[in-house]
Amino acid sequence: MTRSKSWIAAGSFAVCLLIPLVVRTDYNLQVLFRVFLFAALGLAWNLVGGYAGQLSLGHAAYFGAGAYAMALLPHFGVSLWLAPVLGIILAVAFAALIGGVSFRLRGPYFALATIAFAEVLRLLAKNLPSVTGGDVGIQVPSLFAHAINRSFYLAAVVLTAIAFGVTVWVSRSKFGYYLMAIREDEDTALSVGINTARTKLEALFLSAGITAMGGALYGSLFLFIVPDQVLSLDISNEIAIVAMLGGAGTALGPILGSIVLESASETFKNVFHEAHLLIYGLLLVVVVIFLPEGIVGTVNTWLARRRSALAAAPKQRAQRNSAS
Amino acid sequence: MDAFFSALQAILNGLLTGALYALVGMGMALIFGVMRIVNFAHGTFLMLGMYATYFIFEKTGLNPYFGFVFASAFLFCLGYLIYRGLIQHMPVHSDFMQILLTLGLALIFTDAIQLTFGADYHQLNLPLLAKNVHLGQHISLNAPWLVSFGLAVVLGSGMYWFVMHTRIGRAARAIAQNRYASPLMGINVHRVQAVSFGLGVAGAGIAGGLLLPVFYIYPTVGDQFTLKAFVMVVLGGMGSIQGAAVAGLVLGVVESLTSLYWGNEWALAVDFAIFLLVLSLRPAGIFGSQRV
Repeated sequence: MTRSKSWIAAGSFAVCLLIPLVVRTDYNLQVLFRVFLFAALGLAWNLVGGYAGQLSLGHAAYFGAGAYAMALLPHFGVSLWLAPVLGIILAVAFAALIGGVSFRLRGPYFALATIAFAEVLRLLAKNLPSVTGGDVGIQVPSLFAHAINRSFYLAAVVLTAIAFGVTVWVSRSKFGYYLMAIREDEDTALSVGINTARTKLEALFLSAGITAMGGALYGSLFLFIVPDQVLSLDISNEIAIVAMLGGAGTALGPILGSIVLESASETFKNVFHEAHLLIYGLLLVVVVIFLPEGIVGTVNTWLARRRSALAAAPKQRAQRNSAS
Repeated sequence: MDAFFSALQAILNGLLTGALYALVGMGMALIFGVMRIVNFAHGTFLMLGMYATYFIFEKTGLNPYFGFVFASAFLFCLGYLIYRGLIQHMPVHSDFMQILLTLGLALIFTDAIQLTFGADYHQLNLPLLAKNVHLGQHISLNAPWLVSFGLAVVLGSGMYWFVMHTRIGRAARAIAQNRYASPLMGINVHRVQAVSFGLGVAGAGIAGGLLLPVFYIYPTVGDQFTLKAFVMVVLGGMGSIQGAAVAGLVLGVVESLTSLYWGNEWALAVDFAIFLLVLSLRPAGIFGSQRV
């Protein structure tokens, strides 16, 4: 990052930390919690879905792993703050299993395999009530005892900042370039000596870990989880949609996507009541038609085109470059 | 002996369900297998088929076994328009955007139905529902399932014939082989794709109409079928219409046997377990020859 960009990032982080001084109602803080939670989850998804181009639609598996670890482990005497850490380890173990099988597949096959894994986990959680509480659900202890909504909001902001930091680091590191090479052409990446299987798996580990922490926070704030919620396709879809809508493969995309999508979804609920899903669906369709590369991606393309149009002499060459 | 007959009964029931699954799967095989459009609204189209048939029955009293024809005609037009209005304008092979688009469409239709018909469960009252056909002493089959099965077999064969032997069907498969060479051979890509998409949607709609007499309907009833349809296409082998049909029958029988021995709640889990097993051992599908 250039120096000015670092300052902007640090300033935004500080502003986000100060927001609870202004926003005090529990409802608003919970909405903001959701915005930042999904920003973090979208950023996590983006490592695999955006940079590596592996369209995972089963991130609920890791989210659920974190949430269930948070719920179950304290019953066995695990301390409150160790539970999410073990949840992260559990999610990484799932990622090893899921990635091991699914990463041999490409395109839509990969997406379907990740869905199938998440669905198997959901059904196991539903059908094994002795372990997970089954369909009835299970109580989750709260990580914070005081100023609960404010603390969870701050935790979500910190998680987003961590996920953003990881994303910026990845996008500038050799590791990130490997991922992008895999996205552009996996066979070529293999042929120049990138261990694609291992690189994809490492990206998935990072992604799964952050997602599990998000799941633990989510369960811990709402104090109660059921399989059809934390392990649902809806969660997987929402995580992917936030990132794709904002701009897959960009660091700012998932954050913008979450701000737009979560606040729109909350507003629609209040304004349109029963029709809110219809309007939400319309929003998705409109985005696909008018912003096919997501918000950030489309703006970047537009800026690049403008810049190349402004450059007078090497005009044609610039256009050829931006087109290829 | 009882164990044998209960297993046989389960297998037969599974085949009856499986034929309807096959119709859903064949529609998806056309859309996802042949055209490579990742369609997460397939179950929603099935649900629309159910509600359209239900609506026709409520308004005119027309028996659903005839009404489904009009419902699927409506769905064909809907599919055609969705392709022409939306999918045609999207970048080719953009899985991300297709998924976003079809998820958006699914939300729109599901919520629209809920706003129109309410979230309640409905069921048709047909005199046929109570009738059973007995085969020997031990086996009995529910009459509406049998009628649906017969119609599904006829219509599924018709769909297979259409894709394999008509000009449009051949053109659709040619586009699947090479999207860039087919227009050079005089194929109007978008026209053929729009018709194929309409046909795939109509396939889901037909299955919905035929399921109506034996199912409760509610706005999200279709969701369970979307993933099953994907499973069938992959099991059958990408691009293979008959493979998806066989996979539908297999899935029906597997679910029925799982319900018999382990309980209903494990049926879906076994579906996905088989799916993952096939994907990891033989990703081209049971009947497919393509590499993935």
